[in-house]
Amino acid sequence: MSGSSRATQLFTEAQLDIYRRTDRLFAWLMGFQWLMGIVFALWVSPLAWDGPVSRTHLHVWAAVVVGGIISLFPALLGLFRPGLPSTRYVIGVAQMLMGALLIHLTGGRIETHFHVFGSLAFLAFYRDWRVLIPATVVVALDHLLRGMFWPQSVYGVVTASEWRWLEHAAWVLFEDVFLFVACRRSIAEMKQTADRTAALEREVRTRQEAENDARNARARNDAILDVALDCVILMDESGRIAQFNPAAELTFGYSAAEAVQTELAELIVPADKRESLRAALASYLTTGNTAILNRRLELTAIRKGGESFPVEIAIAPISSDGAKMFAAYMRDITERKRTERELASYTQDLETAHETQRKDAERLAALVDQLRVTQQQAETATRAKSEFLASMSHELRTPLNAIILYSELLQEVAEDDGSQSTIGDLQRIQSAGKHLLDLINGILDLSKIEAGKMMLSVEEFDVRAMIGELVDTVNPLVEKNKNTLTVRCDDEVRTMHADLTKTRQILLNLLSNASKFTRDGTIAVDVRRCMFDGRECVEFSVVDTGVGMTVDQTCKVFDPFTQGDVTTTRKYGGTGLGLAIVSRFCDLMGGSVWVESRPGVGSRFVVRLPMKMTDVFPESMTPAGVA
Amino acid sequence: MSDSATPILSPDERHGARRAVWLWTAAALWLVGAVAGLWVLWAYENRPGVSANPPGRWPAETRLARSLQGPTLVLLAHPQCFCTRASLGELAEVLGRAKTPPKTYVLFLKPSGFFDGWEKTDLWRMASALPNVTIVRDDDGLEAQRFGAVTSGQTLLYDAQGELRFSGGITSARGHAGDNAGRAAVIALLDRKEPARRATSVFGCSLVAPPTES
Repeated sequence: MSGSSRATQLFTEAQLDIYRRTDRLFAWLMGFQWLMGIVFALWVSPLAWDGPVSRTHLHVWAAVVVGGIISLFPALLGLFRPGLPSTRYVIGVAQMLMGALLIHLTGGRIETHFHVFGSLAFLAFYRDWRVLIPATVVVALDHLLRGMFWPQSVYGVVTASEWRWLEHAAWVLFEDVFLFVACRRSIAEMKQTADRTAALEREVRTRQEAENDARNARARNDAILDVALDCVILMDESGRIAQFNPAAELTFGYSAAEAVQTELAELIVPADKRESLRAALASYLTTGNTAILNRRLELTAIRKGGESFPVEIAIAPISSDGAKMFAAYMRDITERKRTERELASYTQDLETAHETQRKDAERLAALVDQLRVTQQQAETATRAKSEFLASMSHELRTPLNAIILYSELLQEVAEDDGSQSTIGDLQRIQSAGKHLLDLINGILDLSKIEAGKMMLSVEEFDVRAMIGELVDTVNPLVEKNKNTLTVRCDDEVRTMHADLTKTRQILLNLLSNASKFTRDGTIAVDVRRCMFDGRECVEFSVVDTGVGMTVDQTCKVFDPFTQGDVTTTRKYGGTGLGLAIVSRFCDLMGGSVWVESRPGVGSRFVVRLPMKMTDVFPESMTPAGVA
Repeated sequence: MSDSATPILSPDERHGARRAVWLWTAAALWLVGAVAGLWVLWAYENRPGVSANPPGRWPAETRLARSLQGPTLVLLAHPQCFCTRASLGELAEVLGRAKTPPKTYVLFLKPSGFFDGWEKTDLWRMASALPNVTIVRDDDGLEAQRFGAVTSGQTLLYDAQGELRFSGGITSARGHAGDNAGRAAVIALLDRKEPARRATSVFGCSLVAPPTES
């Protein structure tokens, strides 16, 4: 609230208080006047006479009835509606009416006329000059009306000037002028008082706020110092401790009561450093030199038991109420120093290890160079091997093909000649040649794959058609051991985009194996579509009811030159390369192959190939293995 | 459709407005009652009593002796009449102002049946204090009858020859002292001047009992 608003509020409150108190005062005065009027009437003119006969004087009735009418209404207003303008205006009118009544009850005594002037002065207690207006009007009207109707009672003459009533009212107005001035002055003084009171309140409030702020600041300061983790020590300009926070108590071992009023230098500073501290503080006080102030220093301090320890200290000058003081912030850095020493040691060790590592890296680099040389030599050897195999394949296949061809011819001739004894030999020659050819082809294929030279020829082909051709091819082999071949292909499997030759080779090898190792059993081919690793795949299953394999055997079955056991070649034939080729072809095409088998029950080989091969091989290639 | 210009009062405002109407009505009734009461009082105080019918010459049957050298003034009073106090006050004024104070009688009514001394009220003492005034007890109002006086405060002035010069009251209203035509007339006559009036109204209690119904 602004100052002027507050002053106005105070003035209004004071004014209202005056109105209310004066209203209540007049309420009691009304009752008193009424009572006095009755007493006077009873005392002075209780009876009216007609000769010997008396009756109650009209004055008594007037005092009771008219006095009551005049007094009660304003008295009630004064008691129950104090402070309102209507109340004091009614009181103003009533007071003058009561004066008129009293004047008449006393027979117009001149002394009773003083009631009029006294009442006006009383009404001025309101300090509201407006109240005088209705009161004055009542007096004027009283004289005007009585002067009109009963002039002799007012003027003593039967006829009087028409302005004669104004002469009587003028005396009242005369007093009104002074009362008006008095009211105005009183109001002015009240306003001045309100202004001064408002100003005083502002000053008191400002001072209280300042005291509260100071108190709060001290409380905050104390709270901060109490919970500070570092030591905070306040000292006066003579170096005597004024405040010693709990952290300082804990660090140095002195209680605040022991420390306060003790010189800081004597308490915690080593003897050989005390004079330096004193000199530095004195230098600041005299010259303003802040050589040791406002900077962090690492010094040695001493605890209560005499133990010395390193501290980090900063001293800052502060002013408090004009007095110079110093604030010392200290921190025990024993632990930090120890950590620094350990860190230095670790750093040394690290540097040593780094040097060692550097030397190891040099040795490693030398090894890598050596390995590179070895690799180059190996690659050279591999190339040589591949070249050898490539050249030898022709050298080996050509005579073998000739041997096989000629053995077939000789067999035909022998059959034509009826030389049954030579047919068996010729068949064995043919079989050995074919076996050798298969072996050479398998070795060459493996070599090509291992050398990274095996190329894929990707094309779109009909899966069902491929299966059909395969069935036709392997049927003789299947029927040879009295097996039954069944084929099931899902309707969803239609075409594949892959290497047809290799896919056919994979299935042919699996079906050949199944036919060889199954007798009087069933061979089932199942082709279905599936999703693997987010790609569409085709899964080929070849299930037989053959001899089966043990777990150890299934672990090795995809290795080259490895069959069920050492007797497998003698019993069942084969080169031991078929499944190795199947495994490598599957890896090459981004697929996988695995086997489930139980001895005496049969085996299930499953090949999963992507339905659409991409140029980049899939990241998740499941290697050939055991399911 | 509501009139947007008509203010809508809250219940408190309507209550306050009704209270204001009652207050102003009560104030008006109060004022009317007070003024009416005062008006009745004023009318009573300004209503004169029955005027006297005095003899034109000093009555022979009176036991009062008039002055042969100068005027004689007779004031008849009811000893209990409040209004007569003002008449005695005016009498004092007359006696004080007149160049030639008259022989003055003040007669106080003493009805029979009242104890002796009943008439000796403060008015008797007031009149007794006036200089050169003879206080007479008028038993049963016989002298009042002889002088034809009916109302307390009746004042009669006879000259040296016994001729009636003034008859009336010397107050302006009941119990009201102050300038009045009767006092002025008496003073003028005592000063051998011509008065403005020789008869005025008398304001006071009656000296005779009210007529009883037969």
